Amino acid sequence: MKTYILTRVILSIPMIFILLTVVFVILRILPGNPVTAMLGPKAPPEVVKSMEAQLGLDKPIIVQFGDYIANILRGNFGNSTVTTLPVIQELEDRFPATLELTIFSMVIAVLIGIFFGSFAASHYGKTVDVMARIYSIFVYSMPVFWFGIMLQLIFGVWFKILPVSGRASPFMTPDNLYTGLYTIDAILNGQWNVLYDALLHLVLPSVTLGVVISSIFVRMVRSNVLLSLSSQYVISARSRGVKESKILYAHALKNAMIPILTIMGLQFALLLGGAVLTETTFSWPGIGSYLVERIRYRDFPAIQGAVVFFALFVVVVSILIDIINAWMDPRVRY
Amino acid sequence: MNLLEVRNLEIEYLTRDGNLKAVEGVSFSLGFHETLGLVGESGCGKSTIGLSLLRILPINARMKGRILYKEKDVVNLPDEEMRSVRGKEISMIFQDPMTSLDPIMRIKNQFFETFRAHFPKMEEDEMFKISSNVLKSIGIDPSRLENYPFEFSGGMRQRVMIALAIVLNPSLLIADEPTTSLDVVVQLQIMEVLKELKEKKDMSMILITHDLGLVAEIVDKVGIMYAGNLVEFGDVNSIYEKPLHPYTQLLLVSIPNVKLEDMELKYIKGNLPSLKSPPAGCKFHPRCPFAMDICTREDPPTFELNGRKVKCWLYKGEKDGS
Repeated sequence: MKTYILTRVILSIPMIFILLTVVFVILRILPGNPVTAMLGPKAPPEVVKSMEAQLGLDKPIIVQFGDYIANILRGNFGNSTVTTLPVIQELEDRFPATLELTIFSMVIAVLIGIFFGSFAASHYGKTVDVMARIYSIFVYSMPVFWFGIMLQLIFGVWFKILPVSGRASPFMTPDNLYTGLYTIDAILNGQWNVLYDALLHLVLPSVTLGVVISSIFVRMVRSNVLLSLSSQYVISARSRGVKESKILYAHALKNAMIPILTIMGLQFALLLGGAVLTETTFSWPGIGSYLVERIRYRDFPAIQGAVVFFALFVVVVSILIDIINAWMDPRVRY
Repeated sequence: MNLLEVRNLEIEYLTRDGNLKAVEGVSFSLGFHETLGLVGESGCGKSTIGLSLLRILPINARMKGRILYKEKDVVNLPDEEMRSVRGKEISMIFQDPMTSLDPIMRIKNQFFETFRAHFPKMEEDEMFKISSNVLKSIGIDPSRLENYPFEFSGGMRQRVMIALAIVLNPSLLIADEPTTSLDVVVQLQIMEVLKELKEKKDMSMILITHDLGLVAEIVDKVGIMYAGNLVEFGDVNSIYEKPLHPYTQLLLVSIPNVKLEDMELKYIKGNLPSLKSPPAGCKFHPRCPFAMDICTREDPPTFELNGRKVKCWLYKGEKDGS
C-alpha cells in the first residue's frame, strides 16, 4: 500500500508539469496584454517598456516559462496588480471558504446520490426508480446560479429563515482561526453560536451546489448498483440466505463504489466549476468569487494563481481518490 | 416422505417480445441421500429449475406449480422463511466460480456473512473454526481464509464455493454445471470432491449438467430435459443401459468414444426449438428420427414404464402393470 501511494504521488509530478504548461500557454494565447490592461491604452511607450521589463515580459518566451515554473515551485505566484499583495497570500486567505463549501456540497451530493441511487436500483422499474431518473435529468439541466437564486428568493426573501450571502454575520467569525473553516474553528473555540451562524450561512450555497452535483451521483450509483445487483456474486450470496439489505449495501453498493469513485475524481473539476458560480451567486468569499472578481480587473497574476491553484486542488483530490480506491479494492493494491 | 417433490412446475420468463416458457410441467421427486442428475442441452431449462428450488429466479420470471421441500411449499413460502431455507437447508454452487465470489471481500467474511445470515449471535471464533474445518475437508488450507478471491485459481475458487455451500450442512445441494468452466483435470478433481461429499455427508444432491458421462458415476437418478420438458426420468443404470426416449438415445450415442473404430463425431442434427414459438406437438419431433404423425400434432403425456417415466408417443401402448 505504501509503495502504491508513493508511485501514485510520483506519477502526478509529470501531470502537474503538463498542467502548469497548459495554463502558461493559454494565458499567453488569450487576447489582451497585461501591461495595457494595467496601464491603459494611452500609456507612454517608455512606461510600457519599463513595465514589461519589470514583469519580465521582454525576455524570450522560454526564459519566461522557466521563471514561471521556478516561481511556482517556490510558492511565488507574483503580486496582485490590484491590491499589490502576494497572490499566494490572497489565495491562502480565501481557500478555506472554498474548501468548506466543497466539503459540505460533496457530503450532500454523496448522501443524496448513495441513498437515492441505491434505493432506486433496488426498486428497479418502480415509482422510486422513475422518480430518481426524473430527478437527475431535471437537476442536471438546471443552471447552478438559477437554482441558487431561487433558493435565495424562497428561503431568504419570502420565508426569511436563512441568510442569502456571505460566510458569517457581522461579529460572528471565530475568535481564533486554526483551519480557516469557520465550522471547525468555532467548535475548537467552543463558540456554539458562531458554529450555528456558520452552518446557517452554509445551508443555501452547499445545498445549491450539492443538489446540482447529486444528479450525476444518483445516475451513477443507480446504474452501477443495478449492474452489480445482477452479477453472479449477488445471486450466490442470495443463495446462501444473506439478507437483501446486506446484499445491497455490503456487496452491490461496495462493488459499485469503485467505478463511482473513479468517475467522482473526474467530476471534481466540475464541482469546482460549480463552486465558482455558487460563490458568485452567494457572495461567498472563496477562490471562485476571487477569480471572477479579478477577471473583471484583468489581474493576470491573480487569475493565473487561482487557475493553477484549482488545478493543483484537482490533482490532490484525484490522488486521494486513487488511494481510497486502492483501500477499497484489493486488486488495485497488488 | 420425499426430501423434494416437484409437481407440474411451470416457469415463464416475461420478455419484451413475448413470454418464454423455460420450464413446462416438470414433475420429479428426490429422496433423502439421493443424487439426481439433470441433463440437457444449454437453454433447456435445467438451470432455471435449480434457481427455482431456491426461489432466486430473475425478477422477470413467473413460477407456477408446487415445489415441496420437506413438505414445505417453496413456491408460496413467505420471503423471510424462504431466506432461512437458502444456504441452511438448500444451497447451490454455480457454473462460474470466477464471478461467484464477491471480488472485494475476504473469503473469511463471505463465510461469516453466511453464518450471520442464519445465526446472528454466533461467535467469530466458532465461525472461524467451522469454516476452517470445512475448507480443510475440501482440500484448501484454512490460512487462506484471509485471502481475496482473485488470489485463487478457478478450481480453488470452485472448492471455496463448495465449502461455502456446505458450511451450514444443508440437506440438499444443487450444483449447477459446477465443472463447465474448468479444465479437464480440475473437472475431475471437483467431481471427486462432490463424490466424497455424497458418501460422507447426509446430503442429497442435484447435479445439473450437459455432460452425461461426467455424472454417471455419482448420480442415482437421471432426468433428461429437452426444451423445458422432462422427457425421461429414471434410475441411472436403466437409462444408460436402455434409454427409452429417442433424445436420450441420441445423447448417449453422441458421447465421443475414442475406442470405437469409427472416430467420426456423432451429434444430434438440428437445434433446440425457440421457446417463444415452440413447434406444435412434441417439441422434439423436428429432430426425432422416429417422429410419427401424432408427434407433430399432440404433445405426448408422460408414460410410466417399470418405475421409469418417458414423455414420448412411442410408449403409448406399453403398459407396465400400474
